[in-house]
This record gives sequence, C-alpha cells and structure tokens, in this order.
Amino acid sequence: MRIAKYPFAVLSAALFTVLLVTPISSISNIIWLSSVDMPISLLSALEVLLFDFQRLGIALFAVFTIAFSIAFTVAGLVSKFTNFGGRNLYAIAGAVAIGVALILMVELLFQTQLLGGNRSFIGKILHWVAGFFGGYFFYNLISSDRSYTFVIRFFGVFYAYFLLGLVLNWIFTPASAAADFGFVLNELSDSAQNALLRDFTSFFVATFVFSIFGAITLNPAWFFSAGIVYYGAALFNLMAVYVHGTAYNQIYIGEIVLGTWPTLLALTIIYKNKSSN
Amino acid sequence: MSFRIFLSLFFLSNLYAAYKYETVLDDLDDAWSFVFLDENTILYTELPGNLKIANLIDKTITNISNPPLVHYASQGGLSEVVLDPKFESNHKIYLSYSAKDENNKSTLFLSSAELKDNSLINSKIIFKADAPRRTSVHIGAKIAFLPDGTLLLNSGDGFDHREKAQYLDNHFGKIIRINTDGSVPSDNPFTNIMGALPEIYSYGHRNMQGLLVTSEGDIYEHEHGPKGGDEINLIKPSLNYGWPAITYGIDYSGAVISPFTEKEGMEQPLLHWTPSIAPSDMILYQNNLYPELNGSFLVTALVSKDVKKVFFKDGTDYQESLFSDLKQRLRNIEASPAGVIYLLTDGPGGKLIKVLPIDQ
Repeated sequence: MRIAKYPFAVLSAALFTVLLVTPISSISNIIWLSSVDMPISLLSALEVLLFDFQRLGIALFAVFTIAFSIAFTVAGLVSKFTNFGGRNLYAIAGAVAIGVALILMVELLFQTQLLGGNRSFIGKILHWVAGFFGGYFFYNLISSDRSYTFVIRFFGVFYAYFLLGLVLNWIFTPASAAADFGFVLNELSDSAQNALLRDFTSFFVATFVFSIFGAITLNPAWFFSAGIVYYGAALFNLMAVYVHGTAYNQIYIGEIVLGTWPTLLALTIIYKNKSSN
Repeated sequence: MSFRIFLSLFFLSNLYAAYKYETVLDDLDDAWSFVFLDENTILYTELPGNLKIANLIDKTITNISNPPLVHYASQGGLSEVVLDPKFESNHKIYLSYSAKDENNKSTLFLSSAELKDNSLINSKIIFKADAPRRTSVHIGAKIAFLPDGTLLLNSGDGFDHREKAQYLDNHFGKIIRINTDGSVPSDNPFTNIMGALPEIYSYGHRNMQGLLVTSEGDIYEHEHGPKGGDEINLIKPSLNYGWPAITYGIDYSGAVISPFTEKEGMEQPLLHWTPSIAPSDMILYQNNLYPELNGSFLVTALVSKDVKKVFFKDGTDYQESLFSDLKQRLRNIEASPAGVIYLLTDGPGGKLIKVLPIDQ
C-alpha cells in the first residue's frame, strides 16, 4: 500500500537532523567543561549527550520540522518547474533551512544564542552540514515508494524518543525524577529508595526497549507489551484511588495515552497483515 | 524538636496574616529600582532612561534632568540607583545602566553624579565593565556599599558569554569592588594576579539581581539560574561561585549546562530554587513594624509572583511565600526609613505598592 510519504519524510528528516545537531552543542560543552578541569568521565559525557538529544532535541525537532516543511516544499517546486533537482537540491535546501532557522531563533529570542554549539564559527558550519545531510536523508526517503510500515516505524521510534527523557531522568538524575512523581528521595528509607529507583527505572527502560524492538521488527507483540504496561498503570492508578483510598492522581490520563499509542501501532500492524493475506 | 514546634507555630501564625495593600503610584514606565529620599519621597529609575522623584503623598512626579544616555533594549537600560552614605551632605548618587561602548557593543556602566535642583550635575563614569555584548541581557547592575565605603556592583554573564564567568580577564559574571571615585581598592583580591582585572571581588556568577551588605559587613547576593538553579550566595572575596561549571539548573533550551552541581574550589549556594522563581531584588528587613518579618530576607520574584521570606538557622533555610495574592511580577522591594515595605511591579504600566502592616 502506498502512503502519503512526504509528511512522514519531513518528520523523519527532522528527527534525523536533531540526532546530528544536538551533539554539536553537547560536545562543545563537554570540551569546555574539560578545559576548566571538570571531571568529565565517559558516563557524564554520555549523560550530556543523551539528555541533550532528548530535551534540547524535542525543541529543535519542532523548529526543524517547520523549517524543512517550507524548504522542501520550495525545493519540490523548483524541481518540478526547472531543470534543477535531485539529492543535491534537497541537501542544499536542508542546509539553508537549518541555517535560516538558527539565525531566526537568535533574532526572535532577544538576540541571544540559545544553542551553545552555534556560538562559534565551526559550530555554525557544522549545523549547516547537519542540515545538508538532513536534506539528503529526506531525498532518500521520498525517492522510492513507502508502505504503511514507514509510518509505524516513525511513530514507534518517536514514542521511544519521548520515553527516553523519562529513562534518562531515572538513570542519571533519580532525585529529580522521583520529585516529578511526588517523592522526596532523601526522605525515604534506604530500602524504599532502592525499590523506587529499581522499579521505576525498569518500568520506563522496558517500555522504551519494547517500542524500539517493535519499530525494528514490526512484531505487534512488542507494541502490545508497552501498551499493556501503561494500561496496567492507569488501571491500578484508579484502583488505588477507588479501592485503596489514595489521593486522586490525574497522571492516569497520561498513562492511557502512553498505552493507547503503541496499542494502535500494534493493531494497525495486525490489520494490515490480515488485509495483505 | 522545640525549634520545629516554634517554626510551625510561627508559620501557622503567618498563614492567617492578611496583608492589605495600597497602590501609591501607577503607570510607571518599566521602573526598575527606587530609593527613599525621605519617608514620603522616592527617587526611582525607569529602564528607558528616566530618573524621577515621586512624592508618595500628593503623587507628583518630577523628572530629573541630565540622566545618563542608556541603551534601552531587552533587559537593559537605566537600572539601579543608590544614595551615597553621605548623601545628606554631598548629594551624590550612583547609577548603573547599560550603554553602548566605543565599538557599539552594549555593556554595564556605573556613574556618580550630584543631585541638585532636580538635575544631575558633575556626572562621571566611574566604571565601565569589560563585558561587551550584542544586546543588553544579563547585565546584573545591582549596587551596594561595604562598611569601608567601597562600592560593590554586580556584572552579569551576558548570556552568550557564560563561560567567561570562569575567567578573570573580563567582567562577565563578576562582582566588582571599586572606590566611589572609580579607583581600585588596594586590598582587592586579584590586584596582584597577572592577567586578572583588579576590580573583580568574586566570580563564577550568572545574572545577579539581588545584592545587600548587612550591618556586620556580610555580603548576600542572589542570581537567576537558567531553568532551575536560582541561588542565594554568601559572598567572600576571591571565591569562585561555580557558574557555569556547576549549576542546579539546565538551559532554557533543555540542554545540559553542566552535569555537575559541586566541585572542590567552587562555592555552594546557601539555598537554590528549582524550579526557578526568578529572584529580582532582596532586602534584609530589620524593623518591628511587621514583627513577623523582622530579621528575614525578603526576596521579590518575577516568576512565582510573590516575595520569599527567607531566613537561615544552623545551616538550614526556612522559607515562606508572601504577598502572592497580588499576583504581580515583582521587580523591586524597599523598606522606608520608618520600616514600611514598598513593592515595585515589573514592566510597562508598573505600580508602586505599599504593604500595610497587619494591624492597620
């Protein structure tokens, strides 16, 4: 089955470019921290890289999606009505889109440079290069027909990308992650701290891994697994309130959303498999 | 335990304390700071470059002529005004502001002038920060006097230049100490360090908008963190306060600024606020007009739209939110000579609000 591949190609190219762009800021920051004798280790470097990919990346993803939407539309029109076209056109369009987006971010945000990696000349060049590869990636995605699996994979990966923030919080900054759930970590007993960190980290890591495996294998069982975990969380949340008398916690709405998302992906795969048979 | 009970009763009593307010001045044009000339007269600044005197009884406002030429943009403009400790006899005032330097870059300036007949005379630039930036953000600009008569001035990190707060060859992210004529005190901590600017008193700061010196000479400063990590610090000469190598905040973009919150050789804050409250000014209230506030730090906040009452005991901080029913971004706080608290709201159309003691 052919699908409207262009919107998902833009989204995928934006996410791919985020993957290339965020390490520029992370690495420039790590280099500076090392230069002032901060004890950067492999683990702390990984913490910076992954957190930046997720938290900084979410903001950039929105910006890049808008920039690419405009740039690739223009490139498509140029390609249609002129002799120019092909992968180089889209690659240049991607580079220009990122360059202009980053300039506008400065001019529109109090003339300050929010992206640390974009403060140096080399950093600016690297951002343009990342945009170039983003455009190239986009061209590869649109240059052949795509089936529904393209969409499933995109939403599977994006779901995992969203969960990555929770995963990183519980692994690297557990006190902050616990606070988000209403716990003051230091006030818990040692065994309670251990149980909290162990179980919550495992919970989010497992669903993150399930969704990645689902996106790779397109086996609906992986997506169902993630969905069951979050539906279970929502169910037992409400049971805690109405059976055990705990305080009402509206996080169950989020849990239903996080359960529904992979479940829909799983059901789509099953439906499509049956249709093709 | 008894101290905890005392604290519980103390805060419980304040829970039911309903303050009343009176708007004394209205429609101020981005007013930033004020100082009392007497119980019923204030001298105040407006960021666009206006220096004015307001009578709080008849509400008359008088423009002061010859204010410094400022670069009014973003967070910059005419910022802090303070009176010389001998103002009664010498009529001197000090003004901090952002203005363009010879290279058309914006930086922090400090001027002295005499206030006579509603005009500034004998104006003199006594300090220009070596902290040029494209636009006026994170300039700091708070001024305080030490007991020895020297001046302290906050010079912010300029946002895009945050890493320079760790180096002594510039004024980004520094607290500056100078004499009132602009010369450098000979006992400044870095006067004999090769490559260091001699005006620097402490370093590793971000955007400091609170600065006070107690009667004992202790220096307290607060600074905006990025997303989280607002701090109150006890300032000592020559010390490094860590920004941006250590911080409890993350960048506005979500990026990690540093994975570290502490390091040997870098000072820890007395307290930090995460999430941010955006502290904008601070006084140490010492009067019995509001007995429940006596001896506490009062910190105005832009984001939490309240005043944080803070005091420290045995290494622990205790906090309470005040005046949140105003629901205003609060820019500045001062106590009048008689101890009446006044609050300045932020932005265009700002107000000066008098806080009435509870029994009034």
